[in-house]
Amino acid sequence: MTTTPTAPATTPAGRVRAVLRSPILLSVLGALLIGAVMLLGAGGNPFEAYAAMVEGAFGPTQWRNTLIVAVPVVGMALAVAVPLRAGVVNLGGEGQIVLGGITAAVVAAGVDLPAPLSLVVALGAGTLAGALLGALPAVLENRLGVPLLVSSLLISYPVVALASYLVRFPLRDPGTGLPQSRVFDEAYRMPVFAGIGLSALILVVVIALVVQVDSRTPFGYEVRLTGHNRRFTEYAGVAVPRMVTRLMATGGGIAGLIGAMVVTSVPYRFIDGALVVPAYTWTGLLAALLARANPLGAVAAGVFFAALQVGGFGMERETEVPRELSSILQATVIVILAATVAATARRARTRKDAA
Amino acid sequence: MTRPKAEPAGPTGPAGQPAGPPRVAMAGIAKRFGDVVANDAADLELAAGEIHALVGENGAGKSTLMSVLYGLLAPDEGEIRVDGQPVRFRSPVDAVEAGMGMVHQAFRLFPSMTVAENVVYRAETRGTAGLLDRRAAVRAVQDLSERYGLRVDPQARVRSLSVGVLQRVEILKALHRDAQVLILDEPTAVLTPQETRLLFDVLRGLRDAGRTVVIVTHKLGEVLELSDRVTVLRDGRTVARLVTAETTGAEIARHMTGRAVDLDGHHVPGTPGAPVLHVEGLTVGPPSGRPVVDDVSLSVRAGEIVGIAGVAGNGQVELLEAIAGLRPARDGSVRVGATLLDGYSAGRRREAGIAYIPEDRAATGSAVAASVADNLAIGFHRRQPLRKGWRLDRGAVREHARRIIEHFDIKVSSPSVPAGTLSGGNLQKLVVGREMAHDAPVLLVDQPTRGVDIGAIENIHARLRAYRDAGHAVLLASAELSELMALADRLLVMFGGRVVADLARADATEENVGLAMAGLATREVAS
Repeated sequence: MTTTPTAPATTPAGRVRAVLRSPILLSVLGALLIGAVMLLGAGGNPFEAYAAMVEGAFGPTQWRNTLIVAVPVVGMALAVAVPLRAGVVNLGGEGQIVLGGITAAVVAAGVDLPAPLSLVVALGAGTLAGALLGALPAVLENRLGVPLLVSSLLISYPVVALASYLVRFPLRDPGTGLPQSRVFDEAYRMPVFAGIGLSALILVVVIALVVQVDSRTPFGYEVRLTGHNRRFTEYAGVAVPRMVTRLMATGGGIAGLIGAMVVTSVPYRFIDGALVVPAYTWTGLLAALLARANPLGAVAAGVFFAALQVGGFGMERETEVPRELSSILQATVIVILAATVAATARRARTRKDAA
Repeated sequence: MTRPKAEPAGPTGPAGQPAGPPRVAMAGIAKRFGDVVANDAADLELAAGEIHALVGENGAGKSTLMSVLYGLLAPDEGEIRVDGQPVRFRSPVDAVEAGMGMVHQAFRLFPSMTVAENVVYRAETRGTAGLLDRRAAVRAVQDLSERYGLRVDPQARVRSLSVGVLQRVEILKALHRDAQVLILDEPTAVLTPQETRLLFDVLRGLRDAGRTVVIVTHKLGEVLELSDRVTVLRDGRTVARLVTAETTGAEIARHMTGRAVDLDGHHVPGTPGAPVLHVEGLTVGPPSGRPVVDDVSLSVRAGEIVGIAGVAGNGQVELLEAIAGLRPARDGSVRVGATLLDGYSAGRRREAGIAYIPEDRAATGSAVAASVADNLAIGFHRRQPLRKGWRLDRGAVREHARRIIEHFDIKVSSPSVPAGTLSGGNLQKLVVGREMAHDAPVLLVDQPTRGVDIGAIENIHARLRAYRDAGHAVLLASAELSELMALADRLLVMFGGRVVADLARADATEENVGLAMAGLATREVAS
C-alpha cells in the first residue's frame, strides 16, 4: 500500500489544487478548447461564438428562458443523482417524468378544486406516481433479482405509450388536430413571480432538502458510504435493499414532480412528447454523471447544460454558428471526463501493482 | 535453450562466501513512483548455490526490487551485474535470457491445458513442420520433476490441480527455461505445513545443484529454517546483510522494524466463563448440491479465543459470514446468549451482540475512498452521541474517530484523509479498532494480520488478548498456524466445510493440526 502524496483537501491551498486538478474542470475546459478548434476549422470565430452563447443564455431577457429549461434539467439531474449517490443507476427518468406529467393532467382535467389546493393535489399526485414508478424496479430487484438498471429503463416505454394514448384519445383537445390536452383551468396554472416561476422556487426547496439529507443525516451518510462500497455498508449492518427502494422512490418522485410542474406551466397543457423530445432525462443523467452524484454539483452541471442549450439558440441567431455546437460541447465534456477518470484509475492501479 | 546446463555446485559452499564474482549483484538500486520512493539505495548480492531470504515489512520495497531484477520495472538508478557483467533488462524476456526465473504469488498458468504444455509454453521443442512436440514436452517435464523431486503428472490438466502442485508447475516452468536464479514471492502463503515442508526440500535440492533461490517473505520462522543468507530491506534501503547461521529471529526483526520486538508471542491462557456464542448444525450452500459449510456446531465461552485452522477455502469465511448474517444459512441455528438469531439481518445480529473483523479489510471492512472518520463512525452513526435528533453530528463523528485513532494507535495525519491512504497495517487497526469499540460480547475475526507488518501484528495480537480478557467471546479464523498457536485457547480445524478436529490447547501440536488441515484426521473431542 503506498500513500498517495496529495495535499489534504482540508487546507485552502489543497482545496484549490484539488479543484484545478479535478477531472470535471479539465473536461469542461477541454471541451471548450476542442469546440474552439472546430469553430476555427469551420472558419468561425470562437470568441464571438462563445460570447454570443453566454449572451444568449444569461442576457437581460434570456436568463428567463435558461431558467425555464434549467428547472426540468436540474430536476432530472437530481432524479438520477439521488440514487446514484449510492451507486444505483436510475435510467427510468423518462417514464417517471411523463407519468408525473400525465397524472397531473388527469387531475387537472377531472377534478374541480379551488386554487392553491388544486395545484397541491396535482403536484402531489404527480410526485406520488413518479415515486411509485421509481420504486417498482427497486422492489423487482430486491425481491426477484431483476436488474434495476434494465427494468427501470424498460418500464418507461409502456408508460410513455400510455400517456401518449391518454392524450390522443380521452384527454384530447378536440379544438386542435394535435395530440395535446385542453388548456387547464386557471386553478391548475403555476403562478409566476417577477419572471421566476413557482416551479423554480419549489425546485430550490427540493434541492435544499436533498442537500440537507445528503450531508447532515445518518441516512445520507449511509447512502454516501454505500456509493463508495456497497459490500462495506452491508457488512456493517445497513439494510441496503430498503435504502435502494427509498432512493429510487425519491428520485422517481422528483422526476414526477418535475413532470407535473412542467405541464402546469406555460402552455398549461399536456402535449404529447413535450417531456420526452427535449431529452431532459438524458441531459439530467449527463449532469449527474458529470457531478459524480454530488447533489449540488448535479445542480450546477444541470444549469450549465441548460445554459449551453439555450445559449446555442442565441449563438445561432447572432453568429450563424449552428446550435448543434452545444450538443457537441455537451458530449465532449462527458467523453473527456470518462477518459480522465478511467486514466486516473488505471494509473492508480499500476502504481499500486508495482509498489 | 540459450544457456549451458547448470554446473554442479561451484567453488562456493552453501553458506560460504563466493569465490568469483557473485552470480547477481544489485547495487544502489533506486526506484520512485511519483513522490513515493519504493527503493532507495537497495543492494542485493546473490551467490550461486545458496538460498537467500529477502525480508522486510510491507512497503519496504521487496517486491519492487524483485520486479527490477526480473525486468518488470526499470530502475531509476543503480546497477545490476550478472556473473560480473553489467546488464540492463528491458523486459522479463531479457531477464529470463540472463537466467532469472520468477514464481509469482498469483500463478500464471492456463487452466485448460496440461502441465507439460504449460511448462514448455514459449520455450517449446519444435517437431516436424514446426509443430509442438508433445512427447518431448512430457519427457522434459518428467526429467526435471525426477531430478528435483517435484512430483507432478505431466499429462494432468492444470485446472484439476491443488495450489501446492500449481506452485510446483510454476517452478518447473522456470527450471525448463534453465533459470539459475529462482525468485519465489511469499511461496508458503497458500500451503499447508506438509506442503511447505515438501517445497523446502525441493528448494534445498535446487540449492545443492548449484542454483540460487531467493525467497521473498516476512515469515521469520521460514527464514531461519531455510535460508543461508538474509538481506533485510527497510524503507526501500538495504539495512542488513546477515548469515542465517549467525543470527537470530529477534535480530532480523529488529532490523526490519528498526526497534526491539517481542517475537515469541507465547500463548497466555484465558479464564473462560459461560458459553456465549452457540452454533448448532449450521449448513451453508446452494439449496441442492455440496454445502460449503457442512453441519458445523461449536460454542465459544466468554473470555475464550477459539481458533479455526484450515487451508484457505475450506469453509472458514462462509462460516463466519453466516454467523454474522451476511450469507444465508441452509440449515442450523445461531444463538448469542439466550437470543436466537435465525432470520435476523446482519444489522439485527450486530444489535444482538456480534462484531466482525472480516478477511478483506479493503473490500469489505472499509470504504477506502471515504474518510477515516466516516469509516470509524459506521455502526455508531444512528445512536447517541453521534446522532443528535435527526442529524449526524460531525463534531461528534470526528471526536469518536480521534478516540479510536488514539486508543488503537492508528498512524494517520487527520481523521479526514481517505482511509485508502493508510498502510495495510493501519487500515487493519482501523477495522479492528472500530469493531472492538462496539464492545460486543461476540467478536468474529478472520485473518486479522494478513499482510501487515510485525509492529501491527504485535499490536493486534495484544488487543485480541485484551478483548478476550475483558470477558468477550472471540472466534478467530487464521491461515497462520503460528498466530493460532499464539492466541487460541481451543482449536478447531476445518476441512471440506466440516469441523474435522476440536483440540484442546495442549493437544494442538503443529503435527496434529497439520494432518487435520490436510483432511487426514478423524474428529477428536476436546477434553
